Amino acid sequence: MQTDIISTVEFNHTGELLATGDKGGRVVIFQREQESKNQIHRRGEYNVYSTFQSHEPEFDYLKSLEIEEKINKIRWLPQQNAAYFLLSTNDKTVKLWKVSERDKRPEGYNLKDEEGRLRDPATITTLRVPVLRPMDLMVEATPRRVFANAHTYHINSISVNSDYETYMSADDLRINLWNFEITNQSFNIVDIKPANMEELTEVITAAEFHPHHCNTFVYSSSKGTIRLCDMRASALCDRHTKFFEEPEDPSNRSFFSEIISSISDVKFSHSGRYIMTRDYLTVKVWDLNMENRPIETYQVHDYLRSKLCSLYENDCIFDKFECVWNGSDSVIMTGSYNNFFRMFDRNTKRDVTLEASRENSKPRAILKPRKVCVGGKRRKDEISVDSLDFSKKILHTAWHPSENIIAVAATNNLYIFQDKVN
Amino acid sequence: MEVQKEAQRIMTLSVWKMYHSRMQRGGLRLHRSLQLSLVMRSARELYLSAKVEAHEPEVSLQPARSPDPRLHRPREAEAEAARLDGEQPSPEPMDTQEAPRAEEAPPRGGPRPAKVSRKRRSSSLSDGGDVGLVPSKKARLEEEEEEAAASPEVPDRLQPSPAQAEGAFPNLARVLQRRFSGLLNCSPAAPPTAPPACEAKPACRPADNMLNVLVRAVVAF
Repeated sequence: MQTDIISTVEFNHTGELLATGDKGGRVVIFQREQESKNQIHRRGEYNVYSTFQSHEPEFDYLKSLEIEEKINKIRWLPQQNAAYFLLSTNDKTVKLWKVSERDKRPEGYNLKDEEGRLRDPATITTLRVPVLRPMDLMVEATPRRVFANAHTYHINSISVNSDYETYMSADDLRINLWNFEITNQSFNIVDIKPANMEELTEVITAAEFHPHHCNTFVYSSSKGTIRLCDMRASALCDRHTKFFEEPEDPSNRSFFSEIISSISDVKFSHSGRYIMTRDYLTVKVWDLNMENRPIETYQVHDYLRSKLCSLYENDCIFDKFECVWNGSDSVIMTGSYNNFFRMFDRNTKRDVTLEASRENSKPRAILKPRKVCVGGKRRKDEISVDSLDFSKKILHTAWHPSENIIAVAATNNLYIFQDKVN
Repeated sequence: MEVQKEAQRIMTLSVWKMYHSRMQRGGLRLHRSLQLSLVMRSARELYLSAKVEAHEPEVSLQPARSPDPRLHRPREAEAEAARLDGEQPSPEPMDTQEAPRAEEAPPRGGPRPAKVSRKRRSSSLSDGGDVGLVPSKKARLEEEEEEAAASPEVPDRLQPSPAQAEGAFPNLARVLQRRFSGLLNCSPAAPPTAPPACEAKPACRPADNMLNVLVRAVVAF
């Protein structure tokens, strides 16, 4: 089913909850089981905790455009009380959802009869105070804020600020800063729309706040560049503080060079020292103190470089892959085709290709590393480039903030993998 | 030739994708449209440079295309044969005669070279094969009207609910078409912002190939 295709995956700050958004505008939240002493081999599995419809399809009558309900991004707020809060966004509207538990119910009202009809006050002779009685756990999600009408173009990113009071939303040409309490106004902090749209040469593709410095954020562009901005410098951050760009390798120049250099995702490391970017064929790690080139470049699926024309024909060249850091910033992960996903260990420089598929994922089975054969003789368990299934793509993955647990979205299936327990 | 065909195929494909993207749910995606136009521009540059290379020898041989190029051929070929120390066998002039003539015919089997000089072209290349890539005069006029009608921008910082249409989306197809046609007309990198009346109107050659039909389809929307 088209509407079940997962479009975003995100762990919360403790890793206790895992949220997914799909093309149908639904959000499904999974919660990790409490580890019990009796079942030591069960390391805390994730079960469905709450499901709700976040966005509905809308129609913009002014422009005669349908607004898709697909959830583009979910971002959790840090937990400050018993309830959980998350932001979810489609192309045009951001919503703040409160997810809370109810496990008690007041009982003992004597103002109504058994059928629920109000009793005649004259018949009530005693005052009975209702008592809270336990009930089956109910998880309810309520929309607490709706941040609408601030984006002309399609929202691609949202990012919660480390001050926990503000967040930003970015579309193709503008970035807006919001306060969680105020829904009818937002500050525009970046605007790259040219006066003459014919002169448009690049768009904003992703944006994120620094994990610790609430004045700093980065945004990436379709030209493969990253800009770091400081909100203290000016109200409108059209002029960047830092500009990250790697000079193009002339030997790699091809017909589609421009479009494969477009950055599809940018993520700060947990330490805040590095940023990671994903373009069509590579993942790059940049040191914030060095703007002229990345410090590390990892080839995700370089064997596709000679197939760019076919990938343009079948639209795969436009796929936007995301990338994630592990909790200690030592390993990075990103998706590929054929339900493959790749992990790169930054310290050992080792990498692995794994596959998310039902056949390979019996419970407790260990994932076998996969290999793509690029030419010549194909070994027994290798797969040739031409046999790759380009309809099976892993665009969205997430890594638990502190443990080696990963969530991988493969079209309409969610896979959760954990480290092997001895 | 192969390169030309491939480039043309990619251009056609890109125009189709652009047209098709307007029909998708959620409306026109700016990033996607930009990427498609970049590919189109690269394809066009490739196509035109391949064309220039292909026609280079012809241009030097016959500066003004006469109705019967054959008259010039044997003389040129013989001169070359003489230069090559008489190693060339006598059939050589015939061979060289055949090859360039095959190349002369434009890929789409368009008008013969003799007809080209009749029409005014905005393209810098004097080649009939390019005619199909130049949009019609009618399309251009439509764009001019739309441009005049476009609403001005409103800064939306610190303003509540800026929901007004900024004119980008309804006119985007035309903007892209203008860009596309501007690129195909070999105009400089930045499309001119001067009133369109000052520009030379493109040739209004009737469309008789798929590319032009598709281009028109984009404009119609």
